[in-house]
Amino acid sequence: MRHIRAISLSVVAILATGGHVAAADGGAVAVGDPSAIQGLLRTYCVGCHGEKKSKGQVRLDTLATLDAKVRLDLMGKVEEQLHFSEMPPDDEKQPSPTERKLLMDWVRAELQKSNAPSIEDKLRYPDFGNAVDHDKLFSGTIQGKAFTPVRRWLVSPQIFMGRVIDIFRPAGAPYDKYLRWPISFYGVVNPFVLPDRAGIRDYAISPLDGGHLLVMLGSAQWISQKQIREARVKKGEFKADYFENKADRFTAPTHQAFASVILNPVKPADDALVTAIQAQFGLVLQRSASEAELAKYLALTRSAIDLAGNTEGLRQMLVAVLLESEFLYRLEFGSGAPDASGRKLLSPREASYAISYALGDWNPDPALAKAAAEGRLNTKEDYRREVVRLLADENYFKGQIDPAINNSDVVSHPKVVRFFREFFGYPNAVKVFKDKNRSGGYYDNPGRGSSATPGSLIREADRVVALHIKQDKAVFERLLTSDEFFLYHNLDNEKGQQLIAEWKAIYEALKDTDWRTNPEKVFAEHGALLKKHRIENGKGVHANTLARVMEHFSYTFGKGHTPFTTFPWAHGNQFRYSQSYSLPATPGVSGSYGGDDHFDYQVVQPFKIANRKGILTHPAWLIAHSSNFHTDPIRRGRWIQEKLLAGRVPDVPITVDAKVPENPHMTFRERVESVTGQTQTACWKCHQHMNPLGYPFEFYDDFGRFRRDEPLENPENLVAKAKGKYDADNYKTKPVHTEGLLRGTGDPKLDGPVSGALEMIDRLATSTRVRQSIIRHTFRFYLGRNEMLSDSQTLIAADKAYVESGGSFNAVIVSLLTSDSFMYRK
Amino acid sequence: MKTRRDFLKSSALGAGALLLSGSQAKTFAAPTSGQPPMRFIFMHKGNGLFPSVMVPPSLSESDKAKENKRESLEVEIAKHELPAWMSVLNDHKEHLTILQGLSGKMCTTGHHTWQSSLGVYAANERLASIKWATVDFELAKLFPSPLEHIELACFPCDGGNARGNIHGIEKGFSARGPQQPNYAFGSPKVAVNELFKSVSSNAADRIRYELERKVLDFTAGNQAGLGRELAGLELAKVKNYADAMEDIRRRNKKLESMSAVIARNLPKLAPKYLADDLSTIDCQVGHTEVLLSALISGMTNVVTFTVDELGTLYTGVPGIEGEKINLHDIGHGKSVGLLKADEVREKIRTRHMALVDTIVRRLKSVPEGKGTMFDNTMIFYFPDNGETHHSSGIEWPFVVLSGRNAKLNIAGRFIRLPHWGQAGHMTLGNFYTTLLNAYGNPIKHYGDLDLGLNKFVADQTGPIKRFMA
Repeated sequence: MRHIRAISLSVVAILATGGHVAAADGGAVAVGDPSAIQGLLRTYCVGCHGEKKSKGQVRLDTLATLDAKVRLDLMGKVEEQLHFSEMPPDDEKQPSPTERKLLMDWVRAELQKSNAPSIEDKLRYPDFGNAVDHDKLFSGTIQGKAFTPVRRWLVSPQIFMGRVIDIFRPAGAPYDKYLRWPISFYGVVNPFVLPDRAGIRDYAISPLDGGHLLVMLGSAQWISQKQIREARVKKGEFKADYFENKADRFTAPTHQAFASVILNPVKPADDALVTAIQAQFGLVLQRSASEAELAKYLALTRSAIDLAGNTEGLRQMLVAVLLESEFLYRLEFGSGAPDASGRKLLSPREASYAISYALGDWNPDPALAKAAAEGRLNTKEDYRREVVRLLADENYFKGQIDPAINNSDVVSHPKVVRFFREFFGYPNAVKVFKDKNRSGGYYDNPGRGSSATPGSLIREADRVVALHIKQDKAVFERLLTSDEFFLYHNLDNEKGQQLIAEWKAIYEALKDTDWRTNPEKVFAEHGALLKKHRIENGKGVHANTLARVMEHFSYTFGKGHTPFTTFPWAHGNQFRYSQSYSLPATPGVSGSYGGDDHFDYQVVQPFKIANRKGILTHPAWLIAHSSNFHTDPIRRGRWIQEKLLAGRVPDVPITVDAKVPENPHMTFRERVESVTGQTQTACWKCHQHMNPLGYPFEFYDDFGRFRRDEPLENPENLVAKAKGKYDADNYKTKPVHTEGLLRGTGDPKLDGPVSGALEMIDRLATSTRVRQSIIRHTFRFYLGRNEMLSDSQTLIAADKAYVESGGSFNAVIVSLLTSDSFMYRK
Repeated sequence: MKTRRDFLKSSALGAGALLLSGSQAKTFAAPTSGQPPMRFIFMHKGNGLFPSVMVPPSLSESDKAKENKRESLEVEIAKHELPAWMSVLNDHKEHLTILQGLSGKMCTTGHHTWQSSLGVYAANERLASIKWATVDFELAKLFPSPLEHIELACFPCDGGNARGNIHGIEKGFSARGPQQPNYAFGSPKVAVNELFKSVSSNAADRIRYELERKVLDFTAGNQAGLGRELAGLELAKVKNYADAMEDIRRRNKKLESMSAVIARNLPKLAPKYLADDLSTIDCQVGHTEVLLSALISGMTNVVTFTVDELGTLYTGVPGIEGEKINLHDIGHGKSVGLLKADEVREKIRTRHMALVDTIVRRLKSVPEGKGTMFDNTMIFYFPDNGETHHSSGIEWPFVVLSGRNAKLNIAGRFIRLPHWGQAGHMTLGNFYTTLLNAYGNPIKHYGDLDLGLNKFVADQTGPIKRFMA
């Protein structure tokens, strides 16, 4: 009876705090009967989680004796299990809805008492994105009016930079001018960091904190100094070519309102200060100051001028406006009279920012700002007009996809590509470090000055995404199934073809000459031809010497293949990872030729690569979903479950120390199965939702290479030590098994066993649920939050727009940005 | 004599602690144990530190052979002669550790390493590469102080990691957290102006300080007002920011309450050390005084000091004062005048040791508790990039000085740990884990793992147990 006593303690402890819980019928009843909770726990829980049995190493009979933190964590898990009806298991006796609610209310009261997050709090977080029942969401039966809660949403790192640019940018000047190297804003540190995860990263749930403030204090000083620099030069404080920091030569015009204060030989009148305050509000907060704000700021500015003079006094006001939290938030409160459902439409001004930040990183363009100012942003048609216009605009949002991660391509709408980056999570490839030797030496980890091999692979995955976005047909299906990819491709198709033709002409002209034994003579005879391509007769590690070039051509053109459009010895050349696509090694990059070189560069891209289908077989995705040394079937499976099947997998229980055991005779799959497979019932409960979806990807190793056999990398299995410094050791191998089970599409024609990743991907791509799951993630990206049941009509409309447009992603964006969920606040 | 601790008890904490509440009290109060806090000084240099120069010349032939073969070795320093460049530390042998054999192949190595040597990950110029707070910041959390941490640097003005404003405040080599570089003071002048502005007698400095306070007060009031009608998450979205402003105001008040002790310990620097254009050697001397003042006055318990980096153009080196020494050239073996590269390296290291000696002697002169402030201090001198100019991180030598109350059992010894790939080999991560564990952070392992080491070492995580006191 020990466990019963423990439960009593726990329940009594809760009751002693005066907890009341809501009864099933909605009326409040005191839980004056601890035996009710005791009885429920005894009936439904303790049989498996008690003294005699403690499945999953969880015991609920000892709650009262646990350390407070552990107890709250455990109760949080209990609440989740109850909320999602995951416990008791299907094959056990189930509590009635009333009993379940009683238990839930008890757990909730206990959590709230300690200010621990309850399920309502958690449902706002990305991990709980799929918590709302998928079938219900798309059933069409939910007719509630959609809205987004009133909110402050922290600006993204990119929007922050856009706002800084707008402080200095003359009207009409392009944004990306300020983002080119060298960095214009030397003294501005971006205070925002989005979390690394596969899935939507920017949710409207993060608050500002002390770290943001510390960074902003420094940045505000720099910005304010630059805002007044020109006027100080005019005043004669220093010359225009004087820079305290020689690496920071950024200059910008000083606003006339500020200049008039700084250049005023006496203390300025209030009018001048009010004009200056309004100017700074306009530049920084993009609005006018209210009367109350003006009064406060005027007092501050006046007292600072009294203390330190016009220039420094004025600058304190500039700093103070820059430190307003509004500079770092997007405000979405709604305006006007609420409708019958209590919702308010975004004000035209709020709408203009919401639309602009949904489609890009910059503040509204002049046409959008004008529409807002003229009150032409009130209806769905107004929203549609602006969204369609901006999606068609190739220039306004143009920029690098995300330079914070790698040297990425410039596209017309970086943010659209960023959605797919976040959805698939392939940029996380830069975070997974690899042992270079295990790749055979071709794989470079990110390091100084470069995001190296994973950075290049990410860029190539981006190109696949950008291609299908541009074509805008069956976008989801093509991203999942297209067998066309990009490799290297540093010249566009036309330029690449031209260069190869010219190189080939050189090879044909010289192949029968004495280039090997008498290069001077050949050079003398064909100098004009060679000079065009900077082929010289000199020396140097990176020099295009005649012998080096001709040897390279002999091993490529000479074998009927095409060389890559950059010579392997070029300074900084990092294009040498073709093996990640299971293509032959790039000739010459190791410094020598030989063996069975048969790399054949495809100048015209994209091109077909065998044994691959879509982003889920792209090396960037496979590496991002791998560990340092192994594939990661659990994580790959979880990705499918959560991102494509709209399913949920609970977090690893806190009592589980998840480790895959070493075993020299087993493949990694076998080792994973030995601890999480069907024989491990407690683990299998969750792993059945991941492993069978991840195993089909065992066709690819942790570098993304296609394989049929897996080396058993254990000293016991060593066949031969590596010969070269960066070569790989050679181990015994074992065939990989890629059988899996697709379950959860809701379509009996699709669910069932699969032989490998390619078959599974084909089935996924035709699934309605998969399409809808991607729509749900798109919603989260554009709305900055998880969907609620009341968003049902928004999601159904977006899905319909996709289907009816033949798979246009732009149609989905337009649908979402003209939805009630986007337009209304409550 | 009134000690610094007495003073803090009677003035700063007496006046200041009452103002603090909740998390603030936790952040700014001295450790509750009643013991003085530990201080940590991380002094790192560029261009590598050869393991060969660390070896006491008086080692026996058999021990020399072990050292040459990179085999495990431990000898008492007291029984040995120090390498000539370290000889200024002769009086501190009982506190001295020469630590050989750590590796750092998980770091960026080669010329520049950014936050790698303190963070134990491959940092580079992209902020995204900063994975977590560097070890000095982790230690600063364990021993809170008003300023938390101070970083001083003789910034590189050349090479691939140059700073545009070498006498200003620039990104340093420490990190506050993921993607958050710390900022370092590039000259004694800017450090003094910023750190000691609250007690400055200079009118312009006083005005500057007043202005900053005025803006902070204004903004804090402004932001606090925003939260009045909010609740839950929306309240948190403005309250945290407003609270952070309040934190800074409280910190400033705390510093103001310490103004007497700060004023008494102002760096005593001749004008040449506060000049805009000063030699590297003078910059180092000036920074050392700032470092001592900041520690002794209690403004911080952790200081990180970049004595040089590969792109620092050295001037003022004794014996070759007129030369502008390019450390990169020295790394490539280029002579300076009649001096060979290795001789220049030795001169530079000798200067570094003179700075260490100054720090130790001064801290030994400050009474604290039943001993001196040095009793509660650890100093680490090490390269930011490992064993040489083009390093691979296979070795990462350290000179450590530990006060009496330091919790690592290493003082007074030359220690050679097993070489990379040998059983028992330890990494920078193991060493920092030892430090953090010893001082109360139970982290299982600090830093990234060396993936190449995995095939030799079954488990490379955790502290170096033999170093735990």
